[in-house]
Amino acid sequence: MRWLGPQQATTPLVQHILLALLASGALLYLLHRFLGPRGRRALIVVVTFLFGLFFGLEYFLPVRTKTLWPTGLPNTGGSAGNLLTPGIEPMSNILAVIGAFTVGLGVYSLVQVHGRNVLRRRPGWHNSLAFFISFLAMFGFGLWQYSLHLPEPLPPTLTPLQAFANNGYEFLFRGLYAPLQAATFSLLAFYIASAAYRAFRIRTTDAGLMMAAAFVVMLGQVPIGAWLTRGLPNEGVIALLRLENLGDWVMRWLNSPAQRGIALGVAIGALAMSLRVWLSLERGTFFAEQK
Amino acid sequence: MAGGELLPNEGGGVNSLEHANWFMRALFFTLSAVIVASVLSAQRGRAMFIRRIPGLSAIEEAVGRATEMGKPIFFSPGIDGIGITTLQALAILSYIVRLAAARVTRVLVALRDSTVLPIAEETVREAYDAAGRPEDYRPEDVRFVSDEQFAYALGSVGMMAREQTATHFLFGGFYAEALILTENGRALGALQVAGCPDPVQIPFFIATCDYVVIGDEYYAASAYLTREPTLTGSLVGQDLGKAVLVALIVTGIVMATVLGGATPIVAALLGKGG
Repeated sequence: MRWLGPQQATTPLVQHILLALLASGALLYLLHRFLGPRGRRALIVVVTFLFGLFFGLEYFLPVRTKTLWPTGLPNTGGSAGNLLTPGIEPMSNILAVIGAFTVGLGVYSLVQVHGRNVLRRRPGWHNSLAFFISFLAMFGFGLWQYSLHLPEPLPPTLTPLQAFANNGYEFLFRGLYAPLQAATFSLLAFYIASAAYRAFRIRTTDAGLMMAAAFVVMLGQVPIGAWLTRGLPNEGVIALLRLENLGDWVMRWLNSPAQRGIALGVAIGALAMSLRVWLSLERGTFFAEQK
Repeated sequence: MAGGELLPNEGGGVNSLEHANWFMRALFFTLSAVIVASVLSAQRGRAMFIRRIPGLSAIEEAVGRATEMGKPIFFSPGIDGIGITTLQALAILSYIVRLAAARVTRVLVALRDSTVLPIAEETVREAYDAAGRPEDYRPEDVRFVSDEQFAYALGSVGMMAREQTATHFLFGGFYAEALILTENGRALGALQVAGCPDPVQIPFFIATCDYVVIGDEYYAASAYLTREPTLTGSLVGQDLGKAVLVALIVTGIVMATVLGGATPIVAALLGKGG
């Protein structure tokens, strides 16, 4: 347990982790063993309802708590709340722990897909082999470097093994992964250009209007736009025809209301969807089929 | 708790994003009541009209295209974790897999969030069962690609290219990776149907996809596709809820015009939570 670090590697914490893992495993086994599909579905419906009720009530209940916690609310970092607010952090922790369990499922899915490719020598199997090598290299160096608990900034003298572990991690993360990420992001510039070219080809009246609006807005954003209409006055109605003002007008009075209209519709849609999920009315895997 | 006092460290009020004020409570319960009333009304057999949504109508055509070409379908539920947006995407996935399974067409699902993986697997498995073809379900068709945004995008593009997918469905929360997915999909000649509730991403999809589901049409998908009374009622409730909001906006405009912007009523509406 040395890799946990000097502070974390205390016996009670390790015991708690092991106990929690055992209890979770036993609970999952019992649920899987004794609950049929209908029972599992009923359990999901009940848990969904209770969690939704908890978070909903926490938001809607009035904040009047001095009589309950005269010295301040526990578990809230000093912020205000109501009867349920102290439960938010533990509830969020539960969700985070459940989420952490699924990382293993993700890795299992990757190993399953790529392992099959390698074992059956499917076309492109060498790509899957590259996955295993990269995965093991990053995992190994990451864990090794973390277990050394090197201070920041690095001390001038490192043992050869420490230097190897640290340099390996730095090479993989900062030397390989970060530039690859940046290179992918930069591809977006080309994709935006090609998508814009396709969108702005004037084939219909709508496309023509969009092109005209885009032309005005883009020119309004750059100095040459202001230069083109520099002869127009700065004051009065005519000033609106200056490209920087016209572009601003299009964004403020045409674009913003349209975006807000869509946002309002989306908000109501999300509310309806939330109610359907909360009350298990939605059609889907974990919600009973409608008869 | 009535009559209790605010805690001293609250500064006399609470952030209304953390706790509701009286207006938020009233608005939430009004909108919820409208939606639930519409659901109950639809369940009692009241006929409800849903306008045509081209992006959702195109799903069947898009699945049919993949079947005719004998190639798989690619589906991405976006890069968000478990939430309302992703759950709606999974409901759409369920419908697509049922259609595809009945026509013996594979659906490849690429996932970024590992928490979505077990739910997506279960969704696909149950859809194959519902279509009467459980033997066609292949666990490796629902894949966790990577939890990094661009690694996910490139991994998905790799899947498209290797499997030569004929139809791409992108429903869910998308961000900068959206264009990488759709521009490459377009280069492959795939028919693409996309939907996203985020107004910022919609223009990119419109520029690169054949059909796009816009704004709140996204949350209308399950009702539109299944026509089940409960969902249809909820959809009509959404529209009534929008009418309530429009009425509030018009009232606000009139009040602001007649009374001026900073009236006590406006201040009370925007007041802090608690």
